[in-house]
Amino acid sequence: MIELLNLVKRFGDLVAVNDVSLVVPRGEFFALLGPNAAGKTTTIRMLTGLIRPSAGTARIAGFDVQTEPLEARRRLAYVPDFPFLYDKLTPREFLRFTGQLFRMDDPTIEARARELVHRFNLVPYLSKTIDGLSHGTKQRVAIVSALLHDPEVFVLDEPMVGLDPHHARVLKDTLRERATRGMTVLVSTHQLSIAEEMADRIGIMAEGRLAVVGTREELRQRSGTSGALEQTFLALTEHEANFREEAEHAG
Amino acid sequence: MPAEPESAPLAAPGMLATAAEPSIPGPFRLLLQVNLLQVWRKVSGLRQQSPLLTVLIGLFLIGYAALAFTLFHKGLRFAGGFPGLGPVLLERMLFLLFACLFALLLLSNLIISYTNLFRNREVFFLLPQPVPPQVIFRWKFLESTLLASWAFLFLIAPLLSAYGLTREAAWHFYPATAVFIALFIVLPAVAGAWVAVATARFLDRRTFQVAALSVAAALVGISLFYFRPDAVTDEELETRVLVVLDRLLVKTRFAQYPLLPSYWLSAGVQGWADGARTAAMFFGAVLLSHVLFFGGLMFTRMGDFFYAGVSAVQSRASLLGRWGWLGKAWRRRGPDRWDLRPGFGERLLGRVPGLPADVRALILKDARMFWRDTTQWGQTLVLFGLLTVYFMNLRHFSQQLTNPFWIVIVSYLNLGACSLNLATLTTRFVYPQFSLEGKRLWIVGMAPLGLPRVMLTKFAMTTTVSLALTGSLILLSCRMLQLGWDRTLYHTLSVVVMAFTLNGLATGTGVLYPNLKEDNPGRIVSGFGGTFCLVLSFLYIVASVLLLAVGSPWAGTGQVRPGLTIACWLSFALLSALLGWLPMQLARQRVRVFET
Repeated sequence: MIELLNLVKRFGDLVAVNDVSLVVPRGEFFALLGPNAAGKTTTIRMLTGLIRPSAGTARIAGFDVQTEPLEARRRLAYVPDFPFLYDKLTPREFLRFTGQLFRMDDPTIEARARELVHRFNLVPYLSKTIDGLSHGTKQRVAIVSALLHDPEVFVLDEPMVGLDPHHARVLKDTLRERATRGMTVLVSTHQLSIAEEMADRIGIMAEGRLAVVGTREELRQRSGTSGALEQTFLALTEHEANFREEAEHAG
Repeated sequence: MPAEPESAPLAAPGMLATAAEPSIPGPFRLLLQVNLLQVWRKVSGLRQQSPLLTVLIGLFLIGYAALAFTLFHKGLRFAGGFPGLGPVLLERMLFLLFACLFALLLLSNLIISYTNLFRNREVFFLLPQPVPPQVIFRWKFLESTLLASWAFLFLIAPLLSAYGLTREAAWHFYPATAVFIALFIVLPAVAGAWVAVATARFLDRRTFQVAALSVAAALVGISLFYFRPDAVTDEELETRVLVVLDRLLVKTRFAQYPLLPSYWLSAGVQGWADGARTAAMFFGAVLLSHVLFFGGLMFTRMGDFFYAGVSAVQSRASLLGRWGWLGKAWRRRGPDRWDLRPGFGERLLGRVPGLPADVRALILKDARMFWRDTTQWGQTLVLFGLLTVYFMNLRHFSQQLTNPFWIVIVSYLNLGACSLNLATLTTRFVYPQFSLEGKRLWIVGMAPLGLPRVMLTKFAMTTTVSLALTGSLILLSCRMLQLGWDRTLYHTLSVVVMAFTLNGLATGTGVLYPNLKEDNPGRIVSGFGGTFCLVLSFLYIVASVLLLAVGSPWAGTGQVRPGLTIACWLSFALLSALLGWLPMQLARQRVRVFET
């Protein structure tokens, strides 16, 4: 599970993430939405241990990312929007490498990779160097390598970038299956359709705060809209912006 | 596409296949394996991609090593041959060289470590993995040391070979020196990495900024004082050579400060060449103990500092954030103010008659990108700054040059140095321009400007900047050497022609061998076209300087022969036209094809 407790991140005078608290239980698919510069990526970077929070705590499966980093990272997988891959390795070598980083032995790597590689149609590319692969294929390699160690928590930043509709579907199905088996999924995205279709709960960030959290229905009720999530999202973010403006004037 | 066997998608053996191994390699060993495999693939890929490039690089390396060895050997024999003074001069030169190289290695390690530790995508990939920050730091430290030191090794290998030969050292001098060098390079790497981590962590702190600037200012002040020119009269040179030499050697005494690692290296190498092996081994042991202690600290104790540094770099808002009044002034300038009025540069260019708006926009865009890219102007500043300092100091040197032969030699060497500097910049910055534009082709390529005009504009702009830089430097060199107006004009015209040629060559080959996939200029330059451009530029400069010196219409290097002079000038003009005009013509044809 994921626990964020009063998480704050300051960049000089700017408060990029302001007192964010959130618990995503085991097996939940959580979608993090928000306009540009809302603080989504900064939150994810603190959660994955890329940066230290200015205040607060982030926990993965009960382990504090800052004080027990290795225990937390063993249970975590993270795929950013433009993942790094060693461009002169083949996907086969890259998958073996990431598996070995997680201390997996050869039979385990072999067994876990087999299903994923076939499912994401990577078999024809296994022996080609990564620099010659398309953006979408690279993205699939990154996703497969992240899922290889069967993480308890999977964090994805804009996971559908570069994926064709077929492989986007494959990814959605895989994430749903894994979530059903107990993996916690946190997806940050601007594609509202993913949140609408997949998420158990949705969080909307605005100006560094987690403005609202709830199921689609709860968000609709709160925004007073009905229909597509887009209307709910626009209504809630607009409401949040107006509220802040009024608070600033009053202050 | 060939289908893989269904049963075992990852089972094919390779460097990473460890089926036979019962244990899983540790993360450091895995990183080493993966990166070695990457390097091997890059090298073999280069060989397969272009055999010509491999041959070219091979020839260039061998040629450099042979030329450097010959020059070092001749130079050392010349210096060592001074009656009574030879051994002292050789000793001092070795100490001085390693002290200067130590400072350069320190700087190089600092810059490369900072980039490699805090701006590298591999680090951001590894941090969320179950790899301790200490292991990531250890790997990056090793990588930075190799990246920062390979040029040093390449530079000193011919020198130390020549030194051993001059000193008639025994065969074991060479492997022993290799061990000394291997130990030595670790120490500036340790210092560089440590300063890089401290810089990353504390750069936005006021105390750190004030301390860093104060130390830098103090170093500059002390250097200016310590190396201030010492006037020597003709009479002193004639009658009191030893006193003058002693005064000169005093200035180099800093290199013999016994706590400098370069001192331990120089003393060790020299001791071994002299046959004083026990003393040499003592210095080797001093080096080894420091390497073990500081290297041990780097390998085991830097993980937390490194992680704090990464986080600090990623969390930094502004370097001047702690200076309230500066921050306010910056905000007043209003980077986020809604204002689309033309800036100063645009208004200035607007006053240039006959400059179309689209060309002006392109020039302004390139100028702004150059100005905002610290690497570009930083390297230009260092290269031409060093040359300016050297030329400025010629005024002290030229007073002692009474023989016109040396004046002429120095003036042509200056022409060569200036052109080589220019060639470095044209290859590094002008060559990748067109390839970089490829990524932005949706803006510039789609505009009604047309690619041939884009190319010509870039050529005109870079040539203008090059002319301003090299022309000023050559004028300065001639002034300091007190050359007459006719010779000054000769050198200036020569460098003008060379600036046109070098820019034409870089622009032309940049279009002929584009790399439109890459957005890193360093990688674009390291391909076939960039190497080809660099080698051609280098050969052109050597040939041109020789032709201009041999064809000099003034006596000084021998008897003037008008026929020879004209032949040399014609050859220079022909060579310049061939290497400057031809690539541009071919490139113009190529961009027309691009557009159709």
